[in-house]
Amino acid sequence: MKLYAVFVYLFLYIPVGVIALFSFNAGRHASQLQGFSPKWYGKALSNPFVMDALETSLIVAFVSAFLASLFGTMAAVALQGIKGPLRKTFDLLIYVAVMIPGIVIGIATLIGLVTVFDLLNPLLAALWPDGATPPSLHMGMGSLIAAHAMFLMALVIIIVRARLAGMDRSLTEASSDLYATPFGTFRQVTLPLIFPAVLAGFLLCFTFSFDDFIIAFFVAGSETTLPIYVFSSIRRGVTPEINAIGTMVLAVSLVTLAMAQILLRRGGRTPK
Amino acid sequence: MTHGTRNLLLLAPAGTWFLVMLLLPLTVVLIFSFGERGTSGGYAPAFVLDQYANLPARWTAFKNTLTLAPIGTLASLVIAYPLAYYLAVKVDPKWKTTLLVLVIVPFWTSILIRSYAWIFLLGGRGLPALLDWVGIEDVRLINTPFSVLVGIIYGYLPLMVFPIFVSLDRLDKRLLEASSDLGAKPWRTFLQVTLPLSVPGVATGCMLVFILLMGEFLIPALLGGGKVFFVGNALVDLFLQSRNWAYGSAVAVALVVVMLITVTIYMRFINRLGVNREDVSMV
Amino acid sequence: MVKKNDYISKQKFIDELYRYKRGSVTRRHFLNVTGLGAATAVLGTAVPGLRSRPAFAAGDIGDRVILATWPNYHDPDNFDAFTEATGAAVQVNVFGSNEEMLAKLQAGGSGWDVYVPTNYTITTYVAEGLIEPLDTARLPNYDASAYDPRFSDAGSVDGTLYAVPKNWGTTGFAVNTSKTGGRAMKSWKDFWDITKEDFSGRTMVHDYQLTTIGNALKYFGYSFNSIDEKELAEAEKLLIDAKPHLFAISSDYQPSMRNGDAWMTMCWTGDGKQLNVDIPEIDYVLGVEGGELWSDYYAIPKGAPHTDAAYALINFLLNPEINAKEVLAHGYPSADAHTNKLLPETLLNDPILYPAQELLSALEFGAAATLTDPNRAELMARFKSA
Repeated sequence: MKLYAVFVYLFLYIPVGVIALFSFNAGRHASQLQGFSPKWYGKALSNPFVMDALETSLIVAFVSAFLASLFGTMAAVALQGIKGPLRKTFDLLIYVAVMIPGIVIGIATLIGLVTVFDLLNPLLAALWPDGATPPSLHMGMGSLIAAHAMFLMALVIIIVRARLAGMDRSLTEASSDLYATPFGTFRQVTLPLIFPAVLAGFLLCFTFSFDDFIIAFFVAGSETTLPIYVFSSIRRGVTPEINAIGTMVLAVSLVTLAMAQILLRRGGRTPK
Repeated sequence: MTHGTRNLLLLAPAGTWFLVMLLLPLTVVLIFSFGERGTSGGYAPAFVLDQYANLPARWTAFKNTLTLAPIGTLASLVIAYPLAYYLAVKVDPKWKTTLLVLVIVPFWTSILIRSYAWIFLLGGRGLPALLDWVGIEDVRLINTPFSVLVGIIYGYLPLMVFPIFVSLDRLDKRLLEASSDLGAKPWRTFLQVTLPLSVPGVATGCMLVFILLMGEFLIPALLGGGKVFFVGNALVDLFLQSRNWAYGSAVAVALVVVMLITVTIYMRFINRLGVNREDVSMV
Repeated sequence: MVKKNDYISKQKFIDELYRYKRGSVTRRHFLNVTGLGAATAVLGTAVPGLRSRPAFAAGDIGDRVILATWPNYHDPDNFDAFTEATGAAVQVNVFGSNEEMLAKLQAGGSGWDVYVPTNYTITTYVAEGLIEPLDTARLPNYDASAYDPRFSDAGSVDGTLYAVPKNWGTTGFAVNTSKTGGRAMKSWKDFWDITKEDFSGRTMVHDYQLTTIGNALKYFGYSFNSIDEKELAEAEKLLIDAKPHLFAISSDYQPSMRNGDAWMTMCWTGDGKQLNVDIPEIDYVLGVEGGELWSDYYAIPKGAPHTDAAYALINFLLNPEINAKEVLAHGYPSADAHTNKLLPETLLNDPILYPAQELLSALEFGAAATLTDPNRAELMARFKSA
């Protein structure tokens, strides 16, 4: 059993080791070791386009995870108190959003938004006051954030609802029996209980968005996220710079993960 | 403010979001799937069934996806289960979290970069060179269904380990002790106690991996050398190379329909095993 | 200038060029050893028109410009120099095929300022309204009379200038001659035959219908551009028969050729040159039956967000001094006489860059209909999914 586990961990870590090893390659080619040098880390960090891509990825991941967590939690809380067709509709939407492959989401968003923009742009131009340049809608960071937030929202609703389902109803009932306002009940009772789930949802969303390639590939317009940059560089011929980026992302992820672990452990101590 | 209005207000942002970013794009895809390809690509309005009639031209892509997705899911399950079991039941609780975190860590580097590492490992200078050295000559691994399968297992293993771990971890260890106290052999305990209790986790893991595999495009593109062709690759080609939006939309609709059917059948099957649906969809 | 270059042999020059390209020597070292530094310095001061002339004062053109281009196609130092001179940083997006570029532009909102279309695509871009006519007044470095018209006339459609020439090249194949067992590889017939025999599992073809189907058509001696159903059916049969014997269908062939997994690949001039210099047993071959001759251009897409920067960048890259550095970096031949005057004789006589006349005259330019033909697109899809 133990031997088996060691074997699986080796399987998981040999490729990571290869990535890290080649990031210290002194030569230009990613598949031939030619001495040891940390220079590619400096190169990656001083490459303005790596930094731009990183910034775009961080903004997209943060904003879409934030929107998804906020609106997703709101919807999850509301859905607790709803039955009937509205509830059924939402259940179906969530099911569809989670189940549709990312590639279809990417394609659908691309052609859907492009079609809508083509209809709206002339309209906007016609309505706009003379003299001012009318705004022109196009694919970019906005469409990427919106697409990520959509399917992440469904994810947050599922996670938070699972937590709410496990929650003792008598707590909120007791609270309103004690004449707490609905908002007071939410803030004092519900929120602390679901907070760990919301936080876990936020982190999960952030990861998904940060690592997503396929949706961004279709809907990012002219924006370059880190995975898109990596994809484009792989085509240009991989240099150890890409490995250095990968190793750094891994290191930062580890730190984030450790932080999340600590936060969740603290959250876990709240009474169930 | 009544209860009802409050709930509606809370639902409004998410509802609008789903309307604009999910229903509207899917509707456009559906409309386009009945259209025609523009003369130099894109979409030309029409109402024809040509695109659907032409679906058999992508039969191989569907066949590949529908073979490799279940095989990949099963292979991940077979490899993940013993590890999840080990982590949940056997390992010293002190190390549990650390070992579990170590399973996800590789998942946090871009799938692109990880796949690239496999291109090296399975390529001529990697594993085959090692095999050659021990006397097994001319082994070709890269750009085969095998290398795609390795990439799939590697990419999705954590998604399988996690839910199984969670369901096994919830299991009351006293049950196992009771079983062995009553004289049950270890494998009987496993078959009659452990395995049934881990079904929800297995069901969740399999569904997650299966859904992601059905839309996979990167792993076959990178590790299959363009020779192993999934529906995802067909879609990327139709939209990003041959620019046939109408046909691409029809293929996308077909993929969604195939997924709806397989996942619904799968849910039925799982439900019959006595797992409730909420549990399965809980990620 | 030519005299100066006589100090260095052809082989030495090429060696130095690729050492420089690989980044193992600095630009200064390279220019000194080859004598090119002195040549460009002298020319730069002697001929004011050849000096880099910023069309706009620094800062006026904004802080960025986005270029969509092909892999290994520029000298990164030139972009740094451009940023230094104008304050605009250059973002380079790399593409795999003309189909992909067209798809991205058709989907709208590409965000590109400058892109690099190939000769046969330009009429399609014009018809689709995706390309901006060029204002030569804003490209003072563009001297139309200096270009070989074969490689520059596709830039004008119905008398309007839409694109200016970057460089040209050929599509042949690269083969590792140490694996052929002495067999001479001369034709596309050799290419496809050996793939099904000794080279099984070792051949790569492009992930691009134009070249892959075109070079399969050449096996039968048909036109590279054929859209004839019967001829395409024959090519399809050849491709599908060959598919189990292919190592990969990919336009990113250099890594596999370098590490020995692949022994032969369809190949463009510059890649062939790079492989040949690093691994001399890899030859670049043009099929005797013919194949593709092409020319790439700089153009501005409709709706480019930074038009001023786009003009400034194109103008900068057309500067013969800069263009010469580009040619030294990418190894594709330029059609600009001013640029060629700055290049060493050895490079201008290189058989990979400048093939023998009889090989060259057998080649065809790709046609617009070849790119947009839906049957060829579907054939490629069937081949890939087979």
